[in-house]
Amino acid sequence: MVTFTVLAVVMVVGALGVVLLKQPVHAALSLVGTLLALAVTYVTLEAHFLAAIQVIVYAGAIMVLFLFVLMLLNVKDIGPRRALPGVRWAAYATAVVLAAAVGVVAFWDGRPAPDPAVVSLHLQGGSAGGIGDALFGELLLAFHLVGVLLLTGVVGAVALVQRRAESTHGAPKGGGGPAPEGSTPLPGGRSAGALGSGGAR
Amino acid sequence: MNAPTEAYVALSGVLFAIGAMGVLTRRSAIMVFLSIELMLNAANLAIVAYARHWAGFDALAGLTGQTVVFIVLAVAAAEVAVGLGILVAIFRDRSSTDVDTLAEVRL
Repeated sequence: MVTFTVLAVVMVVGALGVVLLKQPVHAALSLVGTLLALAVTYVTLEAHFLAAIQVIVYAGAIMVLFLFVLMLLNVKDIGPRRALPGVRWAAYATAVVLAAAVGVVAFWDGRPAPDPAVVSLHLQGGSAGGIGDALFGELLLAFHLVGVLLLTGVVGAVALVQRRAESTHGAPKGGGGPAPEGSTPLPGGRSAGALGSGGAR
Repeated sequence: MNAPTEAYVALSGVLFAIGAMGVLTRRSAIMVFLSIELMLNAANLAIVAYARHWAGFDALAGLTGQTVVFIVLAVAAAEVAVGLGILVAIFRDRSSTDVDTLAEVRL
Protein backbone atom coordinates (compact mmCIF):
# COMPACT_ATOMS: atom_id res chain seq x y z
CA MET A 1 0.00 0.00 0.00
CA VAL A 2 2.94 2.33 0.69
CA THR A 3 4.29 1.61 -2.79
CA PHE A 4 0.93 2.36 -4.34
CA THR A 5 0.63 5.64 -2.44
CA VAL A 6 4.04 6.85 -3.56
CA LEU A 7 3.33 5.85 -7.17
CA ALA A 8 -0.09 7.49 -7.09
CA VAL A 9 1.34 10.77 -5.81
CA VAL A 10 4.05 10.74 -8.49
CA MET A 11 1.54 9.98 -11.24
CA VAL A 12 -0.99 12.60 -10.20
CA VAL A 13 1.69 15.28 -9.85
CA GLY A 14 3.05 14.34 -13.27
CA ALA A 15 -0.41 14.42 -14.81
CA LEU A 16 -1.09 17.85 -13.31
CA GLY A 17 2.23 18.96 -14.78
CA VAL A 18 1.08 17.80 -18.23
CA VAL A 19 -2.05 19.89 -17.94
CA LEU A 20 -0.75 22.97 -16.15
CA LEU A 21 2.87 23.57 -17.20
CA LYS A 22 3.29 26.41 -19.66
CA GLN A 23 6.26 25.15 -21.63
CA PRO A 24 5.24 22.29 -23.98
CA VAL A 25 8.58 20.51 -23.55
CA HIS A 26 8.20 20.60 -19.78
CA ALA A 27 4.72 19.16 -20.10
CA ALA A 28 6.00 16.37 -22.35
CA LEU A 29 8.78 15.49 -19.91
CA SER A 30 6.23 15.50 -17.11
CA LEU A 31 4.22 12.97 -19.11
CA VAL A 32 7.35 10.84 -19.47
CA GLY A 33 7.64 10.78 -15.67
CA THR A 34 4.00 9.77 -15.36
CA LEU A 35 4.46 6.96 -17.89
CA LEU A 36 7.52 5.61 -16.09
CA ALA A 37 5.63 5.60 -12.79
CA LEU A 38 2.81 3.80 -14.59
CA ALA A 39 5.29 1.15 -15.73
CA VAL A 40 6.29 0.58 -12.10
CA THR A 41 2.60 0.34 -11.24
CA TYR A 42 2.25 -2.40 -13.85
CA VAL A 43 5.00 -4.29 -12.04
CA THR A 44 3.04 -4.07 -8.79
CA LEU A 45 0.04 -5.45 -10.71
CA GLU A 46 2.11 -8.44 -11.88
CA ALA A 47 2.25 -7.35 -15.51
CA HIS A 48 5.98 -7.46 -16.05
CA PHE A 49 5.98 -7.77 -19.83
CA LEU A 50 3.58 -4.85 -20.10
CA ALA A 51 5.85 -2.78 -17.85
CA ALA A 52 8.78 -3.41 -20.18
CA ILE A 53 6.66 -2.59 -23.24
CA GLN A 54 5.40 0.56 -21.54
CA VAL A 55 8.94 1.82 -21.01
CA ILE A 56 10.15 0.84 -24.49
CA VAL A 57 7.18 1.86 -26.61
CA TYR A 58 5.55 4.69 -24.67
CA ALA A 59 8.29 6.39 -22.69
CA GLY A 60 10.80 5.54 -25.38
CA ALA A 61 9.39 5.66 -28.89
CA ILE A 62 6.17 7.63 -28.63
CA MET A 63 7.42 10.35 -26.31
CA VAL A 64 10.60 10.80 -28.35
CA LEU A 65 8.36 11.27 -31.38
CA PHE A 66 6.39 13.89 -29.43
CA LEU A 67 9.57 15.70 -28.42
CA PHE A 68 10.82 15.66 -32.01
CA VAL A 69 7.62 17.28 -33.23
CA LEU A 70 7.63 19.80 -30.37
CA MET A 71 11.14 20.90 -31.26
CA LEU A 72 10.31 20.86 -34.98
CA LEU A 73 7.20 23.01 -34.67
CA ASN A 74 8.53 25.35 -31.95
CA VAL A 75 5.10 25.58 -30.32
CA LYS A 76 4.61 28.89 -28.59
CA ASP A 77 3.36 29.42 -25.09
CA ILE A 78 -0.34 30.22 -25.41
CA GLY A 79 -2.40 30.51 -22.29
CA PRO A 80 -6.13 30.48 -21.81
CA ARG A 81 -8.05 33.23 -23.53
CA ARG A 82 -10.27 34.34 -20.65
CA ALA A 83 -9.05 34.33 -17.07
CA LEU A 84 -11.52 32.93 -14.55
CA PRO A 85 -9.13 31.73 -11.85
CA GLY A 86 -11.60 30.89 -9.12
CA VAL A 87 -13.97 29.04 -11.41
CA ARG A 88 -11.13 27.14 -13.07
CA TRP A 89 -9.72 25.78 -9.85
CA ALA A 90 -13.13 24.88 -8.53
CA ALA A 91 -13.80 22.98 -11.76
CA TYR A 92 -10.47 21.14 -11.54
CA ALA A 93 -11.06 20.10 -7.93
CA THR A 94 -14.60 18.97 -8.67
CA ALA A 95 -13.48 16.89 -11.64
CA VAL A 96 -10.72 15.10 -9.75
CA VAL A 97 -12.73 14.44 -6.59
CA LEU A 98 -15.75 13.23 -8.55
CA ALA A 99 -13.64 10.95 -10.71
CA ALA A 100 -12.06 9.35 -7.65
CA ALA A 101 -15.47 8.96 -6.03
CA VAL A 102 -16.89 7.31 -9.14
CA GLY A 103 -13.92 4.98 -9.32
CA VAL A 104 -14.38 3.84 -5.75
CA VAL A 105 -18.18 3.68 -5.62
CA ALA A 106 -18.60 1.92 -8.96
CA PHE A 107 -16.48 -0.97 -7.78
CA TRP A 108 -17.23 -0.99 -4.05
CA ASP A 109 -19.81 -3.74 -3.79
CA GLY A 110 -18.20 -5.80 -1.06
CA ARG A 111 -16.98 -8.65 -3.23
CA PRO A 112 -14.00 -10.39 -1.67
CA ALA A 113 -10.55 -9.61 -2.89
CA PRO A 114 -9.01 -12.53 -4.79
CA ASP A 115 -6.40 -14.67 -3.16
CA PRO A 116 -2.95 -13.24 -4.03
CA ALA A 117 -1.44 -16.70 -4.40
CA VAL A 118 -4.10 -17.72 -6.93
CA VAL A 119 -3.65 -14.45 -8.80
CA SER A 120 0.11 -14.95 -9.04
CA LEU A 121 -0.38 -18.50 -10.23
CA HIS A 122 -2.87 -17.54 -12.93
CA LEU A 123 -1.05 -14.44 -14.20
CA GLN A 124 2.34 -16.21 -14.44
CA GLY A 125 3.93 -12.86 -13.61
CA GLY A 126 2.51 -11.37 -16.79
CA SER A 127 5.16 -13.15 -18.84
CA ALA A 128 5.59 -12.79 -22.56
CA GLY A 129 4.68 -16.44 -23.03
CA GLY A 130 1.31 -16.10 -21.33
CA ILE A 131 0.52 -12.90 -23.22
CA GLY A 132 1.54 -14.56 -26.47
CA ASP A 133 -0.83 -17.45 -25.77
CA ALA A 134 -3.72 -15.03 -25.36
CA LEU A 135 -2.64 -12.89 -28.31
CA PHE A 136 -2.47 -15.80 -30.77
CA GLY A 137 -5.42 -17.61 -29.26
CA GLU A 138 -8.40 -15.70 -28.04
CA LEU A 139 -7.42 -12.33 -29.55
CA LEU A 140 -6.18 -13.54 -32.91
CA LEU A 141 -8.68 -11.41 -34.86
CA ALA A 142 -7.65 -8.28 -32.96
CA PHE A 143 -4.02 -9.12 -33.67
CA HIS A 144 -4.71 -9.27 -37.41
CA LEU A 145 -6.70 -6.06 -37.34
CA VAL A 146 -3.89 -4.27 -35.50
CA GLY A 147 -1.52 -5.39 -38.22
CA VAL A 148 -3.76 -3.81 -40.86
CA LEU A 149 -4.06 -0.68 -38.72
CA LEU A 150 -0.31 -0.30 -38.35
CA LEU A 151 0.18 -0.69 -42.10
CA THR A 152 -2.50 1.95 -42.68
CA GLY A 153 -0.80 4.23 -40.18
CA VAL A 154 2.59 3.93 -41.86
CA VAL A 155 1.13 4.57 -45.31
CA GLY A 156 -0.90 7.51 -43.98
CA ALA A 157 2.07 9.12 -42.27
CA VAL A 158 4.19 8.80 -45.39
CA ALA A 159 1.40 10.18 -47.58
CA LEU A 160 0.91 13.16 -45.25
CA VAL A 161 4.58 14.05 -45.38
CA GLN A 162 5.12 13.37 -49.07
CA ARG A 163 2.75 16.11 -50.17
CA ARG A 164 5.59 18.64 -50.33
CA ALA A 165 8.59 16.59 -51.23
CA GLU A 166 10.85 19.65 -51.68
CA SER A 167 10.37 20.77 -48.07
CA THR A 168 13.35 20.17 -45.82
CA HIS A 169 11.11 19.11 -42.97
CA GLY A 170 10.04 15.98 -44.81
CA ALA A 171 12.84 13.71 -43.68
CA PRO A 172 12.22 13.18 -39.94
CA LYS A 173 8.60 12.15 -40.30
CA GLY A 174 9.54 9.28 -42.61
CA GLY A 175 10.55 7.39 -39.49
CA GLY A 176 7.25 8.29 -37.84
CA GLY A 177 5.93 4.78 -38.08
CA PRO A 178 5.84 2.84 -34.85
CA ALA A 179 8.22 0.21 -36.12
CA PRO A 180 11.08 1.94 -37.94
CA GLU A 181 12.89 -1.07 -39.28
CA GLY A 182 15.95 -0.73 -41.43
CA SER A 183 17.30 2.24 -39.48
CA THR A 184 20.86 0.99 -39.51
CA PRO A 185 23.23 3.96 -39.59
CA LEU A 186 24.98 4.29 -42.88
CA PRO A 187 28.57 5.54 -43.12
CA GLY A 188 28.74 9.29 -43.49
CA GLY A 189 25.97 10.06 -41.00
CA ARG A 190 23.15 9.78 -43.56
CA SER A 191 20.95 7.48 -41.47
CA ALA A 192 18.07 9.94 -40.96
CA GLY A 193 18.06 11.06 -44.58
CA ALA A 194 18.26 7.54 -45.89
CA LEU A 195 15.31 6.52 -43.74
CA GLY A 196 13.23 9.44 -45.00
CA SER A 197 13.97 8.92 -48.67
CA GLY A 198 13.34 5.20 -48.31
CA GLY A 199 9.90 5.93 -46.94
CA ALA A 200 9.04 8.46 -49.64
CA ARG A 201 10.03 6.29 -52.56
CA MET B 1 0.25 -5.49 1.43
CA ASN B 2 -1.19 -5.27 -2.07
CA ALA B 3 -3.37 -2.26 -2.77
CA PRO B 4 -7.01 -3.18 -3.51
CA THR B 5 -8.41 -2.97 -7.02
CA GLU B 6 -10.64 -0.05 -5.98
CA ALA B 7 -7.57 2.08 -5.29
CA TYR B 8 -6.16 1.43 -8.75
CA VAL B 9 -9.49 2.18 -10.40
CA ALA B 10 -9.81 5.42 -8.42
CA LEU B 11 -6.30 6.45 -9.47
CA SER B 12 -7.23 5.64 -13.06
CA GLY B 13 -10.33 7.84 -12.77
CA VAL B 14 -8.29 10.73 -11.38
CA LEU B 15 -5.75 10.47 -14.20
CA PHE B 16 -8.52 10.30 -16.79
CA ALA B 17 -10.19 13.40 -15.33
CA ILE B 18 -6.91 15.32 -15.37
CA GLY B 19 -6.38 14.32 -19.00
CA ALA B 20 -9.91 15.42 -19.89
CA MET B 21 -9.19 18.74 -18.18
CA GLY B 22 -6.14 19.13 -20.39
CA VAL B 23 -8.15 18.37 -23.54
CA LEU B 24 -10.71 21.01 -22.58
CA THR B 25 -8.37 23.77 -21.40
CA ARG B 26 -5.28 23.52 -23.60
CA ARG B 27 -5.28 25.58 -26.78
CA SER B 28 -2.33 24.12 -28.65
CA ALA B 29 -3.29 20.97 -30.56
CA ILE B 30 -0.10 19.20 -29.49
CA MET B 31 -0.91 19.73 -25.84
CA VAL B 32 -4.40 18.39 -26.45
CA PHE B 33 -2.75 15.35 -27.99
CA LEU B 34 -0.51 14.87 -24.94
CA SER B 35 -3.57 14.98 -22.70
CA ILE B 36 -5.24 12.33 -24.85
CA GLU B 37 -2.20 10.11 -24.29
CA LEU B 38 -2.69 10.61 -20.57
CA MET B 39 -6.33 9.49 -20.84
CA LEU B 40 -5.33 6.40 -22.84
CA ASN B 41 -2.85 5.41 -20.14
CA ALA B 42 -5.45 5.92 -17.43
CA ALA B 43 -7.72 3.49 -19.25
CA ASN B 44 -4.85 1.02 -19.57
CA LEU B 45 -4.24 1.20 -15.84
CA ALA B 46 -7.88 0.34 -15.16
CA ILE B 47 -7.73 -2.63 -17.55
CA VAL B 48 -4.58 -4.01 -15.92
CA ALA B 49 -6.07 -3.58 -12.44
CA TYR B 50 -9.24 -5.43 -13.46
CA ALA B 51 -7.14 -8.12 -15.12
CA ARG B 52 -5.35 -8.77 -11.84
CA HIS B 53 -8.67 -8.84 -10.01
CA TRP B 54 -10.31 -11.34 -12.35
CA ALA B 55 -7.22 -13.51 -12.55
CA GLY B 56 -8.19 -14.70 -9.09
CA PHE B 57 -11.31 -16.32 -10.52
CA ASP B 58 -10.40 -17.27 -14.08
CA ALA B 59 -6.97 -18.28 -15.31
CA LEU B 60 -7.49 -16.99 -18.84
CA ALA B 61 -9.15 -13.67 -17.95
CA GLY B 62 -6.08 -12.09 -16.39
CA LEU B 63 -3.73 -12.73 -19.27
CA THR B 64 -6.38 -11.80 -21.83
CA GLY B 65 -6.86 -8.46 -20.08
CA GLN B 66 -3.14 -7.75 -20.20
CA THR B 67 -3.10 -8.66 -23.88
CA VAL B 68 -5.90 -6.17 -24.54
CA VAL B 69 -3.64 -3.48 -23.05
CA PHE B 70 -0.92 -4.64 -25.43
CA ILE B 71 -3.28 -4.11 -28.39
CA VAL B 72 -4.29 -0.69 -27.05
CA LEU B 73 -0.60 0.23 -27.01
CA ALA B 74 -0.25 -0.72 -30.67
CA VAL B 75 -3.31 1.32 -31.60
CA ALA B 76 -1.95 4.30 -29.65
CA ALA B 77 1.35 4.06 -31.51
CA ALA B 78 -0.42 4.14 -34.88
CA GLU B 79 -2.60 7.02 -33.70
CA VAL B 80 0.42 9.06 -32.61
CA ALA B 81 2.19 8.54 -35.92
CA VAL B 82 -0.77 9.68 -38.02
CA GLY B 83 -1.86 12.42 -35.61
CA LEU B 84 1.55 14.03 -35.41
CA GLY B 85 1.78 13.84 -39.21
CA ILE B 86 -1.50 15.72 -39.45
CA LEU B 87 -0.28 18.30 -36.93
CA VAL B 88 2.94 18.86 -38.87
CA ALA B 89 0.91 19.32 -42.07
CA ILE B 90 -1.40 21.81 -40.33
CA PHE B 91 1.56 23.69 -38.90
CA ARG B 92 3.21 23.97 -42.31
CA ASP B 93 0.00 25.33 -43.74
CA ARG B 94 -0.72 28.01 -41.15
CA SER B 95 2.25 28.24 -38.71
CA SER B 96 -0.02 27.58 -35.73
CA THR B 97 -1.77 24.67 -34.10
CA ASP B 98 -4.25 26.70 -32.07
CA VAL B 99 -7.36 24.54 -31.98
CA ASP B 100 -9.65 27.58 -31.68
CA THR B 101 -8.74 28.73 -35.17
CA LEU B 102 -9.01 25.32 -36.85
CA ALA B 103 -12.57 25.51 -38.12
CA GLU B 104 -12.28 24.73 -41.84
CA VAL B 105 -14.02 21.37 -41.66
CA ARG B 106 -16.92 22.66 -39.63
CA LEU B 107 -20.27 22.14 -41.34
